[in-house]
Amino acid sequence: MLNFLSKVTGYAQETVQAARYIGQGLSVTFDHMRRRPVTVQYPYEKLIPSERFRGRIHFEFDKCISCEVCVRVCPINLPVVDWEYNKESKKKQLKHYSIDFGVCIFCANCVEYCPTNCLSVTEEYELATYDRHELNFDSVAMGRLPYKVTEDPAVTPLRELAYLPEGVMDPHGVPQTVRRAGQRPEEILEQMEVPEKKPAGQKAEASSSKETQE
Amino acid sequence: MTPGIDLQQRFIETLRDLGLPQGVAKVAWLPLPMILIIIGATLGVLVTVWLERKISAAAQQRIGPEFAGPLGILQAVADGLKLVFKADIVPAKADPWLFTLAPVIVVFPAFLSYLIVPFGQNLLISNVGIGIFLWISLSSIAPIGLMMAGYSSNNKYSLLGGLRAVAQSISYEVPLALAVLAVVMMSNSLSTIDIVEQQSGYGILGWNVWRQPIGLILFWIAALAETERLPFDLPEAEEELVAGYQTEYSGMKFGLFYVASYVNLVLSALLASILYFGGWDFPIPLTVVSGWLSINETGPIFQIVVASLGITMTLLKAYFFVFLAILLRWTVPRVRIDQLLDLGWKFLLPIGLVNLLLTAGLKLAFPFAFGG
Repeated sequence: MLNFLSKVTGYAQETVQAARYIGQGLSVTFDHMRRRPVTVQYPYEKLIPSERFRGRIHFEFDKCISCEVCVRVCPINLPVVDWEYNKESKKKQLKHYSIDFGVCIFCANCVEYCPTNCLSVTEEYELATYDRHELNFDSVAMGRLPYKVTEDPAVTPLRELAYLPEGVMDPHGVPQTVRRAGQRPEEILEQMEVPEKKPAGQKAEASSSKETQE
Repeated sequence: MTPGIDLQQRFIETLRDLGLPQGVAKVAWLPLPMILIIIGATLGVLVTVWLERKISAAAQQRIGPEFAGPLGILQAVADGLKLVFKADIVPAKADPWLFTLAPVIVVFPAFLSYLIVPFGQNLLISNVGIGIFLWISLSSIAPIGLMMAGYSSNNKYSLLGGLRAVAQSISYEVPLALAVLAVVMMSNSLSTIDIVEQQSGYGILGWNVWRQPIGLILFWIAALAETERLPFDLPEAEEELVAGYQTEYSGMKFGLFYVASYVNLVLSALLASILYFGGWDFPIPLTVVSGWLSINETGPIFQIVVASLGITMTLLKAYFFVFLAILLRWTVPRVRIDQLLDLGWKFLLPIGLVNLLLTAGLKLAFPFAFGG
């Protein structure tokens, strides 16, 4: 009998616990309802990609020295560098260069290692095509610059959360000129220079305060 | 308690004054509330679909439908129209008769159950004596349709979904009936009108929630399972069974299943509000309010205000439950089939029986409070 009763109490406790957990869950879902939607109404609105965004790779044909470093650092040896040895100038002459962006993983290792900086990343990410072979960009296609989100009259550019002014959570209607939260790199540099002088100043201050106290 | 507006009586009297015999006048009246209720139920479905999408979006910090009409109100209409115009495909190896009949059998009892939903003293199609029992018996027709849909589709997912739907509907019918039975025992009547009457008079304090809290939880869990909504949407569990018994359906046949599920949801919400939240009853007794404002209770304007307030209250309470169902959908994960049957038979059924016994005991002990 006692065994049965303890079983019943255990079961009841479990039930109450389960009900409490469901209540907690409901309060979480209910709380979510009053939060701002995070929706970006693409294609009418687009987020401004960050400075370090690694999009489609840009290529400058004339700068390339056909060293094939990009091929060697690429995880899958993706860039195709077609060159020919020019006997007159005793240099490699680039004929074709292409990267298949259907296969590229956008790690930008090639950009990192390119000795002549002929490769760079753009902020273009809209690479959808009807045929995957169209993603095989040759040097001409890779030489094109993408349309900037901020310059497109048909698009409302939205800043990402980290680029909004302090305390602002909604990117809608934030003017372009308002600066983001936090400090700019040059300001950080300025601050870093100050502490070198500071110890002396602090000492002076401390001594002066001591004097006044005395 | 005043009888309130009796539209039927008025309508028939008006027609008789025009020189029509009693029988003809009655026949002329009959289709009116039916059409009204069918339109009302369909509108209710559209509103619920819109609400579901909007509330789901809000719970996930999205916007939801926005472009079809202001705030996307017309989204449900657009979806419905799309389904009407879509190709109606019957799989080659399916049984065409059962396949076509199944959605009809599912949707028909759902609409028929609106027969007993009261929006006011005389604002219902028919005050049948068996009232709430009619709903319970009608809701056990739907599993046959679901089984037919699952079996006739000639598809493994459909069959599994159909079997699950039947197992679920039948096993949750029992705790549902037990929860309803406790309420019925307190009001000494199966009629929905009497059940609401018994709760009214003391405003919010008289509602059954306070006397049947366990019953309400029981009813709502069982009703969610009956309507196959999350956390009990195993029959159409999209991760496992594609869409369960609806897998092979397209066009308006699929639309009928869709409509039936939402009609059932609204119906369950309406019945929850009638059984436990006092139906059309206002939180403060209206006779008291009229006493404060010194209004004549039998005046026509007061009667109209009371009737429209009653409809509003019923709908508000019902949509509170709909909201709860949608919120629950995004809160609780789906249960497994064994957990589902465990919950139904090993938890809800004993609790339902205990609740029934408790109600009976309390009714004997405190006949004034528990409808002796």
